[in-house]
Amino acid sequence: MTGDDDDNHDSPGDGGPRGPRGPGGPGGPGGDDELLIEQVASAYRPVPRDELRYHPRWHDLSAAGRERAFARAGALRALEAALDPDGLSTTARAVLARITGQR
Amino acid sequence: MDLDVHLAAIVGGDPRAFGSWMSGAEPRVRDSLRSFAQVIDVEAVLQETLLRTWQVAPRFVADGRPNGLVRMAIRIGRNLAVSEVRRTKATPTEGDDLETALAAGDRPASVPDPMLRKAIAECRDKLPARPRQALDARLASAGGQDDDDLATGLHMKLNTFLQNFTRARQLIADCLHKRGVTVDLELGA
Repeated sequence: MTGDDDDNHDSPGDGGPRGPRGPGGPGGPGGDDELLIEQVASAYRPVPRDELRYHPRWHDLSAAGRERAFARAGALRALEAALDPDGLSTTARAVLARITGQR
Repeated sequence: MDLDVHLAAIVGGDPRAFGSWMSGAEPRVRDSLRSFAQVIDVEAVLQETLLRTWQVAPRFVADGRPNGLVRMAIRIGRNLAVSEVRRTKATPTEGDDLETALAAGDRPASVPDPMLRKAIAECRDKLPARPRQALDARLASAGGQDDDDLATGLHMKLNTFLQNFTRARQLIADCLHKRGVTVDLELGA
């Protein structure tokens, strides 16, 4: 596997998750912002208080983007579980952290 | 595999046993919530579902069929999802068939393929440094930190972190494909 490290791709106005939308953004030809989907597909969720708390960027996604974030999450969790010594995804790890009072 | 083999230890309060159960149950409970993906944050609902399953497991009464706790989790998840749809006043989804979802819980849990795990680990080990750092940070945080914090910890801007993570995911998918492993299309998207 080869390839340069993606280390310097932030440029002014390059259309990050909060920036103007280029290809792949809501206003662009690709539909939803890929980086937004990447964020929402993670297992990070604020710990619920009185009610469930969504990923802060979930509401920014279109219906199609939410579908893709769901599909991406499933694919990532399988990858994570394969790389985990106990076969646990980050979703399972997050739940265990709440069970054991670490979160 | 019947995931209820972990039930006695779970009822006894063993989080490790619940982890073993989750490793097989999580994909099926997640899939059972697919029809809600456009209207609620399924990841948030799923984590709460798994937590509630742990909390009510001591009161679970087996019906003699395998994977009873999975079916109970699917019911908990569906009820929670429906509550979320009502709470958020989202448009109800179509095609939400509980019986179909429960039937998925009846399927034997698949055992992780050690050769596939080895291939994925080898592909991960070939990643360039920065994509590897982004992937490892996500794994190490285990859902406990948002990407802004992870990026800061790696001295990256958020965009850079996300681009490196995307690159890691795509490179692993490419690597697996070259080895003849069929990968989820979304992994390499």
